[in-house]
Amino acid sequence: MNAIDASEHHQRVDESVPPSLLAIVLDTNPHAWAHLSSTLPLATALANLLVFINAHLASGNGNSVAVIASHSNKSCFLYPTPAPASPQPRHNATNGDVDMNGTADSTSYSVQDNPNKYRPFANVETGILNNFAKLMEGTKESHLTATPTTLIGGALSLALSYIAKATLLNLPATSSTEEAMLAIADPEATHSSYVSLASRILIVSVSGDLANQYIPVMNSIFAAQRKRIPIDILKLAGDTVLLQQASDATGGVYMKPERPEGLLQYLMMAFLPDPTARRSLVMPSAGGVDFRAACFCHRKVVDIGFVCSICLSIFCTSDLPDNLCLTCGSYLSLRAAQSNPPALIPKKKKKKKRVGGTDSATPGGSTPAGSNTPMHS
Amino acid sequence: MSGSDYSGSEFSGSDDEYVGPRGGGSSAAAARKIVNATLQQAKKSERKAQAWERRKGESSEEEEYIPTFEEIEDNDVPEQSIQQMEEERKRKRLRKDTKPFQRGIIRHVVLVLDLSEAMLEKDMRPTRFHAMIQYAQEYVREFFEQNPISQMSVLGMHDGLCIRVSELSGNPAEHIAAILGLRTPLNPQDFSKEPKGSPSLQNALELARATLYHTPSHGTREVIIVFGSLLSLDPGDVHQTIRACVRDRVRVSVIGMSARLKICAEIVNKTNAGDESEYVVATDQELLRELLLATTTPPVVRATKSAEEIAPPESAAALMMMGFPSRVIEETPTMCACHGALTTGGYTCSRCSAKVCSLPITCPSCQLTLLLSTHLARSYHHLFPLRNWAEVSWHRAREKGTKSCMSCLTPFPEVPPDGISGEQQTNGHGANGRIHGKVAQKQSNDDEEQKASESSRYECRVCESHFCIDCDMFCHMVLHNCPGCLSKLDTPAEETNGIGDMEMTG
Repeated sequence: MNAIDASEHHQRVDESVPPSLLAIVLDTNPHAWAHLSSTLPLATALANLLVFINAHLASGNGNSVAVIASHSNKSCFLYPTPAPASPQPRHNATNGDVDMNGTADSTSYSVQDNPNKYRPFANVETGILNNFAKLMEGTKESHLTATPTTLIGGALSLALSYIAKATLLNLPATSSTEEAMLAIADPEATHSSYVSLASRILIVSVSGDLANQYIPVMNSIFAAQRKRIPIDILKLAGDTVLLQQASDATGGVYMKPERPEGLLQYLMMAFLPDPTARRSLVMPSAGGVDFRAACFCHRKVVDIGFVCSICLSIFCTSDLPDNLCLTCGSYLSLRAAQSNPPALIPKKKKKKKRVGGTDSATPGGSTPAGSNTPMHS
Repeated sequence: MSGSDYSGSEFSGSDDEYVGPRGGGSSAAAARKIVNATLQQAKKSERKAQAWERRKGESSEEEEYIPTFEEIEDNDVPEQSIQQMEEERKRKRLRKDTKPFQRGIIRHVVLVLDLSEAMLEKDMRPTRFHAMIQYAQEYVREFFEQNPISQMSVLGMHDGLCIRVSELSGNPAEHIAAILGLRTPLNPQDFSKEPKGSPSLQNALELARATLYHTPSHGTREVIIVFGSLLSLDPGDVHQTIRACVRDRVRVSVIGMSARLKICAEIVNKTNAGDESEYVVATDQELLRELLLATTTPPVVRATKSAEEIAPPESAAALMMMGFPSRVIEETPTMCACHGALTTGGYTCSRCSAKVCSLPITCPSCQLTLLLSTHLARSYHHLFPLRNWAEVSWHRAREKGTKSCMSCLTPFPEVPPDGISGEQQTNGHGANGRIHGKVAQKQSNDDEEQKASESSRYECRVCESHFCIDCDMFCHMVLHNCPGCLSKLDTPAEETNGIGDMEMTG
């Protein structure tokens, strides 16, 4: 896949620093970058990011990187370069030719032979720049008018599955596939002594409102939490509670720099240390995180809300029209929800005692525990 | 291991090319045979196969495999079939049905552990008891991961009695500590709860019923019994207890060990409205773990059950009052209401301002349910599950021309040259050959048994992206998102992930 990764998982030295995989999600939303163009043009940001990537690669032999663009109409890999799909028509006589075509256009970019440049750096750099140029060329005006936001959910999902696969490839060869399966299902259960791949995600975000992707982003956050992948957020512009919660839940760094033009400095100082180094550093923290929920009916932020037991929608008031849930339309009653607190231990009703009764529960509403449950404790 | 998978698959692809139509044809035949076997099996087992049935199915499948495997070995292409078997086994773990059912999200579960002398058997390592303790801890962790707003209690069937291991609560740490305490008591003067005597199903059910008696009616009432012995020593008539459980809407699932028992089947049958699939038997350690963890998925709410007779109508749904507290950080330590310990931070109850240490929790002073909106979001993937991905035939793979996995960029095995093999396969099984178009394919094989794909590609039915087996597993078991659908703007992502109607800013 890429040279750096391949060299790593064959010759692993146990006492070395664990290799670190950094997945960078770059928000390339053109609207937001247009706003920022006076202070931090996208070209400068990209150049800064490349320096940061080089620093990351240089800080460990086994370190690797993946860059994913979260654009307004799609999210895709910038590095490693995905192999383009070459669809073939159903009835084609000369399939060999089509195969050649498919590979031909993927070789259009090549690494410049600059003897003064470290080869892996040059590989990453050309890969990112080429794919980025392709992405920008592919952006039509209709895409821009369609939405002002960015597909951060998809980019996060891509990053997480890429990391999951890389972690799996990094595992030592297990005797049975069963163990590897367990490792997929829950990493906590299978603690081993091998040096695992320490991965993290860095989101360079410029877009604001992400509420329409609430569920996908939330699912991604939980997946990251489960796989113990910290999500770092560098928020250059805009404001979202969602990403703040992401970094808080996964133990990542959240930063909202006041001066975006110092991007490189922020990247180098706050986001370069990998999870092992962070344990001995004082990392910037977000402070208070807003956890309050907004109701579905009036978008009011509420302290105490009413939640539908079927679809978990939050409402700010308990008198809904016809007592029907606005989301799933089921009949809701407040009365059932106000559960009665557990009653005190009832007195034994001796007069009602019937030996060998037909049913073990007493009629009426008394607790079943006290009746003729035999022999209990 | 998976690395070798992929290299193996690449080799097999090239082997195919060298051998030519003969090798391809025979592997196609093998694939068809496998498909037939799984189809038979799918017919045999219902939506949720019972354990003994499934084991039987697997073994018969293996019998089917062995000749096929040898047959292929003669043709020098064993890798293909080994890899397929591997992938098939992985995919079996995927959920059988991904239709968005109404599920009981708010669960009240009583986990009953068998602590009778049958648990000293050494057929699981080191003993059944220790294996069960280990899995029970894992289960508790996973349960609260999946069901953050649910409650649980742990009981134990010990020496004829039913003992309470932990009270009904939503705090996983308490349960885990209590379960560990069974093995190594926290206080030295506590008597050890090593397995002893006989179990009593009746006592267990009665205590579980009493535990669940006060739970609000909009939640589920479930009892999950891990039952190792082959007898139940009851002080009275267990059938009366079963009837009482049915009346109280208690659903009982039993995970047996070593053999099926008539009485367990009857308990499960009666309390699950005639559905006996909740009674499963673990024949080995791995299956026990799997079966136990399978119960962490919220149960489907039965629409057909005679809800009117059993439960009052308002029990179906309710509006629950919940508090969404904010986090406070204090200069000086104050007492928390939940443990009485001095802490400098915590969450204050939105109604009574009592300070609690962790969420979710029921406020100790005013009984308000306190949680974060993210806890609610954690349950959404049960309500909007990610649909299973379809297998991709060589024909389809050629049509799409995908070279690498959409999300991890692992290269796929190369598509063999178009020829006899491809045509045969499309005729062979209609579900894979996509002659009938997208719509027919979309409707078909949603409920079918998940099997391996011959081209090692798996396709999302909505966005038509291709993924590898590892990403398939990861996306369905951990992520619950389709990276393909979310990475394109114009695909109807709501269909898979339900973004549209449930949007909410936390």
